[in-house]
Amino acid sequence: MAAPDILKRLKDKAGPAIQRADLPDERRLFVFVEPSALKGLCQFIFRDLDARYIISIGADDRPHSGRFLVAHNFAFDKEHVLCSLLARLPADQPRVESISDVVPAANWAEREFRDLVGIEPVGHPYPKRLVLPDGWPEGVHPLRKDVRWDCVPPGYDEHREFTFDEPPPGCVVVPFGPFHPTLDEPEHFRLYVEGEVVRGCEYRGFMVHRGIEKLAESVLTYNDIPMAAERICGICGCVHNVTYAQAVEQAAAIRPPERAEYIRTIMLELERLHSHLLWVGLAGHIVGFDTLFMQAFRIREPIMWAAEKISGNRKTYSLCLIGGVRWDLTDELKAELHAVLDRLETEWRAVAAVVSRDRNVQKRTRGVGVASRELVKNAALIGPVARASGCDIDCRRDHPYAAYDRVDFNVVVEQDGDVWARLLVRVQEVFESIKIIRQCLQQMPDGPIQLALADELPADRLGLSSVEAPRGECHHFVLTGEQNRPRRWRVRAPTYQNLQGVPAMIKDQQLADMTISLGSIDPCFSCTDRLETIDLRSGVTRVYSQAELLKLVRTRQANQR
Amino acid sequence: MTLMSKLREALLGLRAGRVTLPYPLAARPVPARFRGRPIFDPVKCTGCGGCANNCPAREILLFDLCQEIRILHYLGRRCTYCGRCADVCPEKAITMSHEFENATNSIGDIQQRLELFMSTCQRCGRCFKEPTPLEQLKLKGYRDDDLQNELWVFRSQAYREKEPAVRDVEIELD
Amino acid sequence: MNLLATIALGLLNAATVLLAAPLGEGLLRKLTARIQSRQGPPLLQPYYDLLKLLCKEDLEAGQVPSMQRFAACLAFAAVVAVAWLVPMGAPAPLNAHADVVLLIYLLSLCSISTLLAGLAAGSTFSLLGISREMMAMVALEPLLAVALVVGAVHEKSLRLEAVLSGSVYGAAGFPWSGLLTLLAVLLAFQAFVQRAPFDMAEAETELMEGPLLEYSGPKLALFKYARQAKLMVYCALFVALFAPWGLGLGQPLAWLWFWAKVGVLVLLVTAIAATHARYRIDQALRYLGGLLGVALAALVLATFGY
Repeated sequence: MAAPDILKRLKDKAGPAIQRADLPDERRLFVFVEPSALKGLCQFIFRDLDARYIISIGADDRPHSGRFLVAHNFAFDKEHVLCSLLARLPADQPRVESISDVVPAANWAEREFRDLVGIEPVGHPYPKRLVLPDGWPEGVHPLRKDVRWDCVPPGYDEHREFTFDEPPPGCVVVPFGPFHPTLDEPEHFRLYVEGEVVRGCEYRGFMVHRGIEKLAESVLTYNDIPMAAERICGICGCVHNVTYAQAVEQAAAIRPPERAEYIRTIMLELERLHSHLLWVGLAGHIVGFDTLFMQAFRIREPIMWAAEKISGNRKTYSLCLIGGVRWDLTDELKAELHAVLDRLETEWRAVAAVVSRDRNVQKRTRGVGVASRELVKNAALIGPVARASGCDIDCRRDHPYAAYDRVDFNVVVEQDGDVWARLLVRVQEVFESIKIIRQCLQQMPDGPIQLALADELPADRLGLSSVEAPRGECHHFVLTGEQNRPRRWRVRAPTYQNLQGVPAMIKDQQLADMTISLGSIDPCFSCTDRLETIDLRSGVTRVYSQAELLKLVRTRQANQR
Repeated sequence: MTLMSKLREALLGLRAGRVTLPYPLAARPVPARFRGRPIFDPVKCTGCGGCANNCPAREILLFDLCQEIRILHYLGRRCTYCGRCADVCPEKAITMSHEFENATNSIGDIQQRLELFMSTCQRCGRCFKEPTPLEQLKLKGYRDDDLQNELWVFRSQAYREKEPAVRDVEIELD
Repeated sequence: MNLLATIALGLLNAATVLLAAPLGEGLLRKLTARIQSRQGPPLLQPYYDLLKLLCKEDLEAGQVPSMQRFAACLAFAAVVAVAWLVPMGAPAPLNAHADVVLLIYLLSLCSISTLLAGLAAGSTFSLLGISREMMAMVALEPLLAVALVVGAVHEKSLRLEAVLSGSVYGAAGFPWSGLLTLLAVLLAFQAFVQRAPFDMAEAETELMEGPLLEYSGPKLALFKYARQAKLMVYCALFVALFAPWGLGLGQPLAWLWFWAKVGVLVLLVTAIAATHARYRIDQALRYLGGLLGVALAALVLATFGY
């Protein structure tokens, strides 16, 4: 069932509510519907057609069409189609029915466009601020076109503190973050703990929100944005770089040269290698096993050196431009890469053999942070988290991009859904990545690595791209615009979805397991924080009042002065 | 058995030896394509402004002092070492050097200001730079010791900044 | 022993423990680093760390600063006091004035000082840390007490010189109770010295250092020093209780031989600490509870003369 078939089924269901449908190719579907029919169609797609929810997007299109735009993106993994349901909303009343009750995974995305664009999701079960801090005044929505990118609104109270929910009775509040030795990025998990058992948590993040999307829409140009996109994340930058380039190329119907596609594949897999090795080390460190941490990082180092030789930087490859890549692979570099991969494979096989039989590590990771298949579907979890719970999804195979349709690889799936299963998935994926890179090095054709683009890119085109980042599916939505920049660019990093599953994973587990459960989704808060945040909550009893806790913190600070 | 796997883990580590590098006590060489601090060559630069147009961080500024002098100012604060300026420069005047030890509390160490002497086109009057150094020598005002001719060069007051546009970083030590 | 000899020997013990403790820590760090394929800090680094901390400003952070200072001093003093009770290559200094019961109490005092430290700091993480410490104490102190009592039962005396000289093997025939006790204490040894896999009370990644969260400067120096000395003292105790052979060699050979054995034990602790992940408190308690059962079985055997 390809895109035309899906469209036919949608037409059968909704009929006249569908105003317009764009099928740029067999794998993309853009359907404009009436706002009133949006929720019904989303429910149909999510439940009846069993699609996977990706993201919801709000955009201010008033300068061009006089209306707001709302989009809900879904993926048909088995049919290899990415689909977007769009609706135009009147400028004076940007309201849309919330789909969070039928698609629980849309919780954060709707709160985000409520904060940033001002589109009200009517009927949202938890309409609390996500991205914007509590001190931000009402009515100023940063992603609207009439708000400048460097605006500081009058009435912004930067000292106002977050308003947290009431903790359930009987529980102690254990604050986790924003400063914590385990976490590299600031986020706040407010854990409600009974003894040593976690009964729930509230998440408050987006503390390092940098407004990259706004910058891209106001100040940067098409070829500047890849450099900004790769700085979204401190580990998986190449993914954002490539996904954005691919989204724009799809929107403008540009096909990069074949050699460029192979180089993109190689760099993406190199990134997956170093990210997974980093994660295994980090997981070891979290459970107190520093030796695994050191060894994983030692084995990982040659990959960073190889990346530096190819691209000039260990992690920020600055790889893509629209229509190609910037760095080429010479024969010496290919030979060096082969040597690095051979050495890596030998050493990693030894580590994998030893760790898989290590009962000490298994004791800390088996049965911990379990994500059921139902949670994976409802919260739209992706990546190794989903694959460890038995869901066979992988964008490299389901929505092929770059050169992935020309290489062979297996998708590693485990069944248990706990941290141990995720560890096994990531360990095995290292070997698959090595296989892919070797095939690419062998099959890479000669030729140019960058298209010479003579014309300006056409405006008002939609582009979607899904790339399998080490953490899951990274999805970009682009609406091309004038003046050499996109009109709307939405980044959905994988951790954005996976974080929404964390409270369910840590509920009724030991406090000591909280960090490893959180770590097992391989959280990348920098990726998440370009947009809004969401919090989750559960019922726990309270021993200290929030005022008492604040008083504790303040008296300590006062004493220190 | 756990004991065997632990023993093998320990052996793995011991067999690998010590991988600690002696940096910073010994220099660390970088690969050829390493993107360090960009160095601007005033001799080759023609003042086209390609680098300024393509810098994603908007850290290269171009300022026309007068008809004949164009200032290219690399501010270096937000520079991300992406190398786009070096890529687009038609004269290959920008090199991504191998310098990565750039920490300083005086921003002037990183900033580069190029004063480009431009000729005027006889037909349209716009500035361009003489293609060879010999031709450049013939330009009015190029020779520093030609004080007589210096008088003919108009210097805008804006150039004599009383306060620098970017201040040095002051670090307070208690 | 006359008073002068007692004091001299006690001071020698205490001084050796205090001087050797940072070196033991340095050895631990160096060996851990080698297992982790890296260079590691210099062997004398812990001395520099302690000096640095002692020279810092004594900040007051936490709920009850006076109690915090007291807890730091208590931790240090308790460990040094135990050094006076353990024979380290020579008879225990306070032989004539103390017995095994006092030893058990002083060892408990070391753990109690950590509890006091966490309570006095009063932050959420310290309280969580001391709750773990308390749970671990409940399982550990009885284990050590039972091991010492096994020796006491064989020797029919609670005197230090009697018990702390391999008394557990004192059975008439094959020393079953001795071997069982040795097994139990050996397998629990990492928990006694609070290293991986039983360092959950001070888990950095989970609890932000637990009870020691609000400590810095000289107070932290005292706690660190106490922890390092604790390792030495426990190793010395273990050697005295389970491996005291060679004491008849004559001084100073016997003294050197004793400390060589302690060194080997420190290396063993390091090797295990470097290759294990941290256990959760409930897993640790189950494990230690099992070992307590083994020790009690040894006690029963001992009372029957086995």
